[in-house]
Amino acid sequence: MNKYLQIFKISFAQEFAYKANFIMWRVRNVFQIFLIFFLWDAVFSDQGRVVFGYDRTKILTYVFGVMLVRALVLSSKSVDIARDIATGELSNYLLRPISYFKYWFTRDVSSKVLNIMFAVVEFAILYLILKPPFYFQTDIFTNLSFLISVGVAILIFSTLIFIVSTVPFWAPELGWGSHFLVTVVVVESLSGSVFPIDVLPQLVQRVLMITPFPYLIYFPIQVYLGKIGGFQYLQGTLISLLWIVVLWLVLRRVWSKGLKVYQAFGR
Amino acid sequence: MVLGQKLAIMFFLTGKIMRFVFFFGFLFFLIVGTKTLVGYDSNQVIFFFLTFNFVDVVAQFFFREVYRFRPKIVSGDFDLTLIKPINPLFQSLAGGADVMDLVTIPPLLFAVFYVGSLLNPSLLHVAFYVLLLLNSLLIATAFHILVLALGIITMEVDHTIMIYRDLTSLGRFPVDIYRQPLQGFLTYLVPVGLMITLPAKALMGLVSLPGVLASFGLGLTAVFVSLRFWNFALKKYTSASS
Repeated sequence: MNKYLQIFKISFAQEFAYKANFIMWRVRNVFQIFLIFFLWDAVFSDQGRVVFGYDRTKILTYVFGVMLVRALVLSSKSVDIARDIATGELSNYLLRPISYFKYWFTRDVSSKVLNIMFAVVEFAILYLILKPPFYFQTDIFTNLSFLISVGVAILIFSTLIFIVSTVPFWAPELGWGSHFLVTVVVVESLSGSVFPIDVLPQLVQRVLMITPFPYLIYFPIQVYLGKIGGFQYLQGTLISLLWIVVLWLVLRRVWSKGLKVYQAFGR
Repeated sequence: MVLGQKLAIMFFLTGKIMRFVFFFGFLFFLIVGTKTLVGYDSNQVIFFFLTFNFVDVVAQFFFREVYRFRPKIVSGDFDLTLIKPINPLFQSLAGGADVMDLVTIPPLLFAVFYVGSLLNPSLLHVAFYVLLLLNSLLIATAFHILVLALGIITMEVDHTIMIYRDLTSLGRFPVDIYRQPLQGFLTYLVPVGLMITLPAKALMGLVSLPGVLASFGLGLTAVFVSLRFWNFALKKYTSASS
């Protein structure tokens, strides 16, 4: 356990070695929030308007919620696994007395801690500047359910990103391409981080809710807003847990097959 | 070209198309639900979005080399660019057009033409639109030159160019949706409004000739300032790593 604590500390310190990079990354996140915030601010300029089941308070809370949940769920260092495999760097880790997945998961956790710290500060600053109406969830059980759904989302995303990172075992040039396709395009668009899923027609929503993506951002925020609870919450959590099991089994299979074809290119 | 590279291009192209389709779908269903956005109807909102995409993709097509500039500065390989008998700015700016973006330009152009025609513009307004699109590319050129110059001084290009992309992406919707002072900032200081909102508004007949001329004045000033900054930055280049 101690070695993973040390990895956590080193990874955390490393982020500060590239301060400019990190600050720029956070600035970019703020710009993305601006786009979504002002879009919904314009749509709900009429204070009493209700569209797609949201009033002004709930939709702007959704936007601010995205900022925090994204920092917790989508910030990750394990995209670098693909580079390790493509460059042969993986060999160094396979020889060490550590679990490769635990190593990267620990680094992910350190990235999440750092990102949530900055996200909270950004949240406070933007809240003071934009002064949006905010929906404070006071029900303890709902808040607890929200935290559980965020935890489940973190596990789904970590497993998904590990699977995508194994592509270079078979095609070293596709490391970044596969991440771009899955984690940048599909996850960003279908997780609810750009727009809430319930903007889409019912049929599309139903299909999407079978996939793991809405459970990354959309589902936890809906739980916080109190729009999903009771049976729907149990159903969603069950689907999420099922996805974790399926993705974990896929990861184990793909990883063991990948190691058999791994040739340590560049070593 | 090896199979892996072909597949990588396919992945990127598919990703770009998917991102466009997802956002377009969201925009479509949003407008179906809300009917209008800050007074613009569905075709007009879609036209703003298409104009943004067109300017964005064309700029990426011409100026892809900017994204590869940082390693040259860090490694000192920029020396090799400087000694070649070609203008170093031209090489660094437009030395490697992106074929992937070329694939997406024709269908985008068709979409711009089709949705634009649904707005029933007059010939004069079409001329204004085309002129202002050219001005958008002038401003985009100025931005990319600024990024290169900053890269020489600070060695930071990757995030600067992505911040430019993020700022311009605020133009996916008309800048009218933003509150002051952000709206003023996006119109005059970082002229996303001039680059994307103004051309689209011109096609809708919402911009007069003085507006077009003033916009061109700003575009030319931006290029002039960026060129001066590039010359200043070149003098600061130390060729440290070579």
